Amino acid sequence: MHSFYLAWKYIIYNRIKTAVLVACVTLIAFLPFALQLLLEESERQLTSRAVSTPLVIGAKGSALDLVMNTLYFGDEHPEAIRMEAVNRIWDSELALPIPVYTRFKARGFPIVGTTLDYFEFRRLEPASGRNMAVLGECVVGARVSADLNLKPGGSLVSSPESLFDLAGVYPLKMKVVGVLEKAHTSDDLAVFVDLKTAWVIQGLGHGHQDVTRLTDPSLVLKRSGSNVAATAKLYHYMEISDKNIGSFHFHGNTDGYPITAVIAVPADEKSGTILQGRYLSKNENQQILRPKVVIDGLLQNIFRIKNVLDAVVSVVALATIMAIVLVFALSLRLRQSEIQTIFKIGCSRLTIAKLLAAEIMIIVAASGFLCGFLLMVVNRFTNDLVRRLFIG
Amino acid sequence: MISGSAMVETESLKFQYHESSFHLSIPYFAVQAGEKVAVVGPSGSGKTTLLNLLAGILAPMEGSIKVGKTAVSDLNDAGRREFRIRNIGFVFQDFELLDYLSVLDNILHPYRITDALKLTGEVRQRAILLAEQMGVDSHIKKHPKELSQGEKQRTAICRAMLPQPKLILADEATGNLDPENKTRILDLLFAAVDDHGTTLLAVTHDHELLRRFDRVIDFNHFQSDGPG
Amino acid sequence: MINEMRSYFLLVPVLLFLLLSTAAQAVDDPLDVYVVNYPLKYFAERIGGPHVKVTLPVPADVDPVYWTPKIADIGAYQQVDLILLNGAGYAKWVNTVSLPRSKTVDTSRGFKDRYITVKETMTHSHGAEGKHAHEGLAFTTWLDLYLASEQAEAIAEALARRRPQLQDEFRANFQSLEKDLLALDGRIRAIVSANNTVPIIFSHPVYDYFVKAYGLNGRSVHWEPEQEPSSAQIAELRNLLETHPARWMIWEGTPVKPAVDVLHAMDIQSAAFNPCGNVPSDGDFLTVMQQNVVNLEPVFR
Repeated sequence: MHSFYLAWKYIIYNRIKTAVLVACVTLIAFLPFALQLLLEESERQLTSRAVSTPLVIGAKGSALDLVMNTLYFGDEHPEAIRMEAVNRIWDSELALPIPVYTRFKARGFPIVGTTLDYFEFRRLEPASGRNMAVLGECVVGARVSADLNLKPGGSLVSSPESLFDLAGVYPLKMKVVGVLEKAHTSDDLAVFVDLKTAWVIQGLGHGHQDVTRLTDPSLVLKRSGSNVAATAKLYHYMEISDKNIGSFHFHGNTDGYPITAVIAVPADEKSGTILQGRYLSKNENQQILRPKVVIDGLLQNIFRIKNVLDAVVSVVALATIMAIVLVFALSLRLRQSEIQTIFKIGCSRLTIAKLLAAEIMIIVAASGFLCGFLLMVVNRFTNDLVRRLFIG
Repeated sequence: MISGSAMVETESLKFQYHESSFHLSIPYFAVQAGEKVAVVGPSGSGKTTLLNLLAGILAPMEGSIKVGKTAVSDLNDAGRREFRIRNIGFVFQDFELLDYLSVLDNILHPYRITDALKLTGEVRQRAILLAEQMGVDSHIKKHPKELSQGEKQRTAICRAMLPQPKLILADEATGNLDPENKTRILDLLFAAVDDHGTTLLAVTHDHELLRRFDRVIDFNHFQSDGPG
Repeated sequence: MINEMRSYFLLVPVLLFLLLSTAAQAVDDPLDVYVVNYPLKYFAERIGGPHVKVTLPVPADVDPVYWTPKIADIGAYQQVDLILLNGAGYAKWVNTVSLPRSKTVDTSRGFKDRYITVKETMTHSHGAEGKHAHEGLAFTTWLDLYLASEQAEAIAEALARRRPQLQDEFRANFQSLEKDLLALDGRIRAIVSANNTVPIIFSHPVYDYFVKAYGLNGRSVHWEPEQEPSSAQIAELRNLLETHPARWMIWEGTPVKPAVDVLHAMDIQSAAFNPCGNVPSDGDFLTVMQQNVVNLEPVFR
C-alpha cells in the first residue's frame, strides 16, 4: 500500500510527464479495440440489414452502390429505373415489390420515397402521430426528429439539389405527421414520403390553378380547341394543403416515372430463385441482387484492410512501447539520487522495484480506465461513426 | 553527554573500494553512548566511507564494527539494512528530501519504505511533534521546493530522528547553510539528540562549530590512501 | 406430489386447446375489406359471404366518384386486410393518398387494355411540347356486365389468396354470381339486339362501357335528375338532336317532373338506368340492374 501511496504522490507531482505517458498507453490500447468495435458494429449493421432484405432490383452498374443506397440511404445514387420495374415484379406474382426512391434530401437527411408496405416490411411503427396518409405528408425517423426537433404537426422543406439549378427540383414544404420508433438502423435517419410525393418534389407531379380558366395572357403559351399550354410563369404550389390537393396531378404515364430500386420480398425461396432467373438475360438492363452477398463481399474487403491496419497499429504500438520504456529508463536515471537516498536510509532494492512497479501499475490502470471510458464513448456513437465512415 | 559505554566501536577496520586505490585502515574507533562527536579531516580521507561502514551501507574487508550491541559487520545485506533503518538516522549535506512528498510525508518516509517500521497513529503524532520542535510544523503540507535551506535541513533532521535511532550520522549537515542557519540547525540537532539520548557522529568542515561537540576526531590520525 | 403432477398433466391439454382455439379463431375472423363503390361491395359480399366484412365508407347521399375521404377514413383504409379498387381512374382520391399496395387490388387491372379513354373538353400541358394531363378514362366499368364478372373474379382470387383454405367456397360463390351477371348480360343483349343503333341521349357521360358493350348509339349531356334543366342545357340538347335525333333520354335516377315535361315537349321520353355506384335505398345491385333492364325494354322496342 505504501508503494502505491508513494507512487501516486510521484505521479501527481509529475503531472505532465504522467499525462503524456497515460495518453501514449491509452492510445495504443484504445486504437485496436476501437477499430474492433467499429468493425463489429459495421458488420452487425450492414449484415442484419442485408439479411433482412431478400432481393434488390435496380439499374445495372455498381452492385455496392445500389445496395448501399437502397438499404442504408448512402450518398452514392445509382442510375434510376422506371416504375414499370415494380409492375413487372407485381405481375409475376413471385414477390411483393416495394419501390424506393432516394434522390432527394431535406436538411441533410435523405428523403425516401416509398409505399406503406415498406413500413410493414421493416416493422416500423409511429412512436407519435400517425403514418402518412395524403400527398405532401412525411414521417421522420427517430434521429431526424431529435436532431431537427420535429414533432407531428411540424414541417420540413426539401432541399434543392443544387443552389443554381433554377429549372430543377422545387423545394416542397412537407407536413410531418409522425415520428417513428427508434429502429437502430438507417431508418432512424430518413424522412419517409409516399413515392408520389417524391415525384412531386422532382416536379413530375404538381398543383396549380386551373389552366383552362386562366385570364392572365402571360400565363398562357398556346391555346387550341382541346388543349391549353401554360408558360413557365405559372405558379406551382410549394405546399400541399386541403385547399389545393385537388389540383395536384401527374403528367404522362406513371409507369415511366423514376425510382432508385425495388426491394422484392419473395413469397418463398423457390419464388425468389425463379425471380432471379428472370433477370439473367444479356439484354436485361436491370440487375437483381441478394444484399447479403454484396455486403459479405464488402465486409471481406473491410476485414482485409483491417488486417493491414492491425499490422500498422502493431508496429506503432511497438515503437510507442519502446519509447515508453526509454522514458522510464531515463526517468530512473534522473531519480538515481532519490534511489541512493532511500537505499542509504534502509530501503531494499526489492522495495525500490516495488515503488517503480507501483508507478507503472497506476499509469497502466489510469490508461486502462481512460481507454475503457473512450471505448464507452465510441460504443455510444458507433452507429453514427459507422454511418459516416463506412456508409457515407 | 558521555554515558560511559561505547555505542560505536570498530577494531582493525580495513576497507577498499573496487578498482580504486583508496584504502581505509582504522585500528580502533569508538564513540560512547550519548556522545556528540565531530569527525574532521581533509577531503578524500574516508570520513563519509566510515559513516557508510558504520551504517552498514558498505561491508568492511577486515575488522569488526559494533553499533550498540550489534556486530554490524557480521550481518548480511538484508540484516544490515534492517538494522540501519531501525537504529541509524542519516542527515545529509544536500538534505536529500523527496521533491514530490510533502514535509510530513518526507518525515514519515522511512516508515513507508520498509516493513521493519510500522506507520501507526502514534508515529504520525510523534512526527508532528518533531516538526513542532524543529519549527517546521506550519509547513507540513508544503513541498521541499517551497522551503528555505534551513527548513529543508530541519525536515531532514525530523526524518532522521523519527525512528528513534540509537545513532545519528550527519555528513556535513551544515555544509550548505548560511552561518545563522548553521548555528540554529546545530542547536536543534543537539537538543534533539539530548532529548532522546541519541549518539551523534557528525562529519564537518566547519571549525567554528567544533567546540560545541563533546569530542573531535581528526581523520588524519587514520591511515588512508587516495580519495574516500 | 402425485396430485401436483396430475395438475400439470391436466394443464398441458388445456393450454394446447387454448392455443389452437386462438389460432383457429384468427383464421375464422372475417376479412376486413374496404371498397370504393357499391358494385364491388356487392361482389365481395356475394363471394365472401360470412367470411368477409365489407365496408364502403362513403355516405349514402354522396356519389363515390366524387367523394374525398378524411384522414380518419384513409387511416381506416390503411388498416384493413384488403382494399378493393375499381381502377380506370375511379376514385381520383387514390392518386393523392398512401395505401399499402400489398393489400390493394385493382379489380379492373386485368382488362386495362380495354379501358375507354374519354376526350375531356379541355386538357392542359406545360410548354409547347409538354405532355397533356386530364386525358381521362371512363370509370363505370361494371356497366359492362362481362367486365363486371372479370372484376368479381379478381375479387375471388384476392380473397382466396388471403384465405386459401376457403378458396373452393369463394370459387363456388363467384360462379354463382357470374351466372347471375351473365344472365343479366344475356337479357340486355336480347333487348337491345333488335334495335341497338337507335339514337339515345344519356343524362350524364357515365354509360361509356354500357354503350360499348352493347353497341349502342348514345350521346351524353349533363342533366341532373333532381333538377329542372336550364335554358342553356335545353339549347345544348336541341343542338345535339339536330345530328342525333333521339327519342329517349336515359337518366341515372328518376327525373323530376319538370325535366320529364321539358323532354316530352321535345318528343323525348325518359327511362331510368341507375348505375348503382352507391348503396341503393332498396334492393341490391342485382335487383337494381334487373329493374334497369326492365326500364330499358321500351327504349329498344
